[in-house]
Amino acid sequence: MAHSATAAAETKVWGGGRSPFNVSYGKMMMWFFLLSDAFTFGAFLISYGTTRFFSAVWPDPNHVFHAFPFMGHANLPLLFVSLMTFILIMSSVTMVLAVHAGHYGDRQGVIKWLLWTIIGGIAFLSCQAWEWTHLHHQGAWWGSFTDANAPLESIKGFFNMNDAKVAAALPGHGMQATHDFYNYFFTITGFHGGHVASGVVFLIMVLINTVNGTYDRRGHYEMVEKIGLYWHFVDLVWVFVFTCFYLL
Amino acid sequence: MSQHHHTEDNIQHLYEGDQSKLYSGVMQHHTDINSAESKKQVGRIWKVFWILLAVTVVEVLLGMYFSYSIPKGILNTLFLVLTLFKAGYIVAVFMHLGDEVKSFLITVLIPLTLFIWFIIAFLADGGFWLHMNSTAPMR
Repeated sequence: MAHSATAAAETKVWGGGRSPFNVSYGKMMMWFFLLSDAFTFGAFLISYGTTRFFSAVWPDPNHVFHAFPFMGHANLPLLFVSLMTFILIMSSVTMVLAVHAGHYGDRQGVIKWLLWTIIGGIAFLSCQAWEWTHLHHQGAWWGSFTDANAPLESIKGFFNMNDAKVAAALPGHGMQATHDFYNYFFTITGFHGGHVASGVVFLIMVLINTVNGTYDRRGHYEMVEKIGLYWHFVDLVWVFVFTCFYLL
Repeated sequence: MSQHHHTEDNIQHLYEGDQSKLYSGVMQHHTDINSAESKKQVGRIWKVFWILLAVTVVEVLLGMYFSYSIPKGILNTLFLVLTLFKAGYIVAVFMHLGDEVKSFLITVLIPLTLFIWFIIAFLADGGFWLHMNSTAPMR
């Protein structure tokens, strides 16, 4: 009896006439795109991990990331990246509030929260620009640190020299490790930053449509929900980038 | 506020057709942003914000003050657990995956389990490469 009841329900769910997943085509495809993007970012981070595992030494995040704008040479490990993380979490909150306002057809609310999200995205990108510039001034870039005969002084600052094992391995492996570290750092944070930048462009487009009343005429604010999924995904990726580069 | 107001030049069909009859999920049409239900939802969003912020602060404090005192293995496990904890909240609440039907949730999550194998296989290979390289008699 119970079995036939289940079978009847199954037929009804998959029998056509309505979405079995109870979700629109556009939203489902956004989820599948994000799934594929998750594999791209995952592949990047796993190859970073693999390189790190086969390296005898690796730069120490507390020594690489210790500067803060306008603070000169003050040693403030991880503080600036904490600020960047805070900005991105905050922009995720304003994004989900925009989606919420959209569910209720509250146009003014959507406009307000989209604006805050755009500001958050631009603030994050500005922070990243500063961090890249700062590291570039220290000689780091794609393909930097290739000269094995360069003095150790040029890379010492990136490592935890208090650790005897690190100090011992540095002459033989330090240059290669620094080179690998920065290639991955700029590639992965760059790919993430590219996502944030295109997210800001999409948000501005959705904002213009909202202001023009396009979604009111359409009868729903699903577009805000879709761009919201993308934006939260970018925040989600940052959570993993933050852990892999700055904490582990 | 004029969400149900359709003007004469209805352009909805140009974008994705009227799909509203096909699904009734998270996109249900609500009307009052100041209703108790709406306020409850906003409260939930802010609660998740505070959780994410608190976890991040804990992670940063651990990274700043305990990187060299707590054994690396324990500290890294802790970082990974906290990261997955944050990711779960973002996906479940901010992306509303927790509110979708179960079959959709499973469809999205199952492919991601491939990562378990990817991570084990690649990191093990990296570790083995280092082992072989540093124990070889000559290079």
